[in-house]
Amino acid sequence: MSFVSPVHSFEDEEAASEGYFELGFTDGFPVIAPTETRVTAMLAAARLGPGEVLGEVPTRKVTVAAEKVAINAVMAGCRPEYFPVVVAAVRAFLQPEANAHSTTATLAGAAHAVIVNGPVRAELDIVSGQACFGPGFRANATIGRALRLVIRNVCRAVPGDLDRASFSWPLRYSFCFGENEEASEWTPLHVQFGYARDESVVIIQSIFSLVALLEFDASPQSILRTFAHFTRAYGMGRDDFVGDARSLVYVVGPEHQRRFLDEGWAKERVSQALWSLLTAPATGPYDRHVDVTGPENVLLVAAGGPGIAQSWLLLPHLAAPTHERIGP
Amino acid sequence: MAVLSLDPTTSTPEDADAPVLAQRPANLEGQVLGIVANGLGISEVMFDALAAVLCEEHGVRDVVKVVKPSVAVPPWPEQWEEIIGQATVAVTGFGGCGSCSTRSMRDAIDLEAQGIPSVCVVHSALVPAVRALARLVGGPDYPIVVVDYPHNPTAMWDKDEAAAVGSQVVEGVYRCLTAGH
Repeated sequence: MSFVSPVHSFEDEEAASEGYFELGFTDGFPVIAPTETRVTAMLAAARLGPGEVLGEVPTRKVTVAAEKVAINAVMAGCRPEYFPVVVAAVRAFLQPEANAHSTTATLAGAAHAVIVNGPVRAELDIVSGQACFGPGFRANATIGRALRLVIRNVCRAVPGDLDRASFSWPLRYSFCFGENEEASEWTPLHVQFGYARDESVVIIQSIFSLVALLEFDASPQSILRTFAHFTRAYGMGRDDFVGDARSLVYVVGPEHQRRFLDEGWAKERVSQALWSLLTAPATGPYDRHVDVTGPENVLLVAAGGPGIAQSWLLLPHLAAPTHERIGP
Repeated sequence: MAVLSLDPTTSTPEDADAPVLAQRPANLEGQVLGIVANGLGISEVMFDALAAVLCEEHGVRDVVKVVKPSVAVPPWPEQWEEIIGQATVAVTGFGGCGSCSTRSMRDAIDLEAQGIPSVCVVHSALVPAVRALARLVGGPDYPIVVVDYPHNPTAMWDKDEAAAVGSQVVEGVYRCLTAGH
């Protein structure tokens, strides 16, 4: 396989890891040296040539080729079998509606959730249950990290340079989790987007804020009122570029999901009821109208572990959720 | 044994071609000012104030303004056609957030490539960002006009402050758009 990337030479693996930090190529954590052998294995797993173009960031005149994505996936610690998921994530991130320039140069420091649906979750041990947002799971950690390294190294969103986040935040190291499709008969997110249940799909959702939604009351109505209360405290205005596609993602924990299931609420009913609450007229500065076009823009993802009656809102930046089937 | 590893970054910024600046008029007498506004805060009020002074004191004949559909995206194609079809000089911005400032810089460079002398109005907090963008797309020394503190970067000003900022940038904008630059 023939590569176009310049080669850096180091005495050993430790020197390579240190050297890549010194060269400004890392997120601050050690990286795996992207040797030609390792990068070749990555590309082979996705059946891609190094020159295959996965997308671009037009404002920056940046074209993203598979070679660079594979290099960054090696650095992130991905196994080769993870690479098709990384490729799908990068492709989804580079779709125009994902607004890659805006979401990675913003003062607000938007992050990106990599949400995985379908059989690939079990094949790669992509965790959707207990502690799925956090550390401890190689596939979750390294797939999410690979996307972030691509954003940094390929898309040139380097802090202090094009990345202008005033604070940035830990989600920008890595944020990848699966949907717990097996927890219920709820329609999986990728099926809502038109894919077959047995297809594997990545959904990218930009995140302006990650909002905890705690409600211990058992009734679906109480839970939805709490979801709406916190969402309306933030509010969300119209963005003409993203238009009707801008969406909220609620990651529904099992204690909340159980309450909906006990009462026979399908995802669609939850979304409909919540949309009605969200779009009611504003009543004050901390109870704002949320400009979501329809119930189909109120997306639910089942995930997390049992215990606390908690869910999470992924409030978007100026972008729509985008999705891509995982190949090859 | 030596470890040979591949570079993870895109090509170096020095590879980008420097833009050719459009020929500047001697002054703004009779020119049509294009404004490519990103809608940040109330920066539109600033641009309106700027345009008013350029018309009254420097002979600008007409003003055509578009407000982009989002702060950090290109103008819609029809907005772009409106600007390049009518404007003879142009100003973009307001560059007061990370993504919008850099996109406005790109707007200015794109207008320049169309033969329209242009300038981007940027807050001092975002100068490193627009310089980084300019290095990537060509034009590391592309002229900008800088708004400084105490005016906040996100254009969350009241109308009087916005109008005052508009007046403050007149001289810089004039200088960048004319042959005196």
